[in-house]
Amino acid sequence: MRRLIRHEEIDRILSREEEILPSSGFAVSVMDAVRREAAAPPPIPFPWKRALPGMVVGGFALALVLISVVVAIAQLGGGAAAQQFSMPLQSALPPIFQGHLEYAVIWTVLALLMALASVKLSMRLGSGGI
Amino acid sequence: MSASDDQADVERVLAGEISAYEGIVGRWQGPLINLAYRFCHDRGRAEEMAQEAFLRAYRGLGQWRKDAVFSTWLFALATNLYRSELRRIPARTVSLEDIAEPQDVRASDGGLEDHDRDLAVRRAVFALPAKYREALILFYFHDMDVTTAARSLGLPEGTVKARLFRGREILRSKLPQLLAVPRLKEA
Repeated sequence: MRRLIRHEEIDRILSREEEILPSSGFAVSVMDAVRREAAAPPPIPFPWKRALPGMVVGGFALALVLISVVVAIAQLGGGAAAQQFSMPLQSALPPIFQGHLEYAVIWTVLALLMALASVKLSMRLGSGGI
Repeated sequence: MSASDDQADVERVLAGEISAYEGIVGRWQGPLINLAYRFCHDRGRAEEMAQEAFLRAYRGLGQWRKDAVFSTWLFALATNLYRSELRRIPARTVSLEDIAEPQDVRASDGGLEDHDRDLAVRRAVFALPAKYREALILFYFHDMDVTTAARSLGLPEGTVKARLFRGREILRSKLPQLLAVPRLKEA
């Protein structure tokens, strides 16, 4: 015959957890670490001013690529409405690009994917994840 | 441990007197190490985690808003760190099912000696899901004060109470064989 342990018994048992004492060198070790921390130069702040123009240009380029992808998808879909929509854009491009937009988009997407993969890989390598 | 001592030391440290931090370390090293020990049950690791907590507290000393006492802020910071550390590298645990099976068969009736039973209950806490385990650890560490435990965990009191209740219910349901009737000392 068995019974469930009561809450009071759990309270009594868990309230009597053994206490440990800090080792003799603990405080010294902490203060050494604190002094090292205090002596270290402050972290270099991220250079937002310098990075901002590059980030804006990058964002603009990304937006252009996304628009190109949307246009290419619409063209590959072959809808009449999509054809009408894409025609002005096609004619606006230089002659060298006309008729090769799909290939350009595919290559751009592939390049972006490869860039993303390489960035991810290098970040994982840098953080010791591999 | 006086709150005014803590405040005075913090102000001195913030003014550039690093040695004043020794006062804070001296006053709180015991509690911080013991709290860490309850999370990991490993003395060496407990000291490492406590040292990291003191370092983080030093770095964030300026963020302590004096609307709460220093110890509340320090315990919340340490608890947060210990929880993340234990998520990163969990303490060694055994499953509740394994604990529920009495391992000491000295008692022929299946009951355990008091010491073994207490040990089994403590080990069972370790096998609980993290949210119940953490609530139980903080509750008993803070002498069964739900308010302080809730502050350390950064959770509403109601949530902590619910987790405590649920955690103890799981313990109760998983540990019945630790209290076989013939060995009971009570009437």
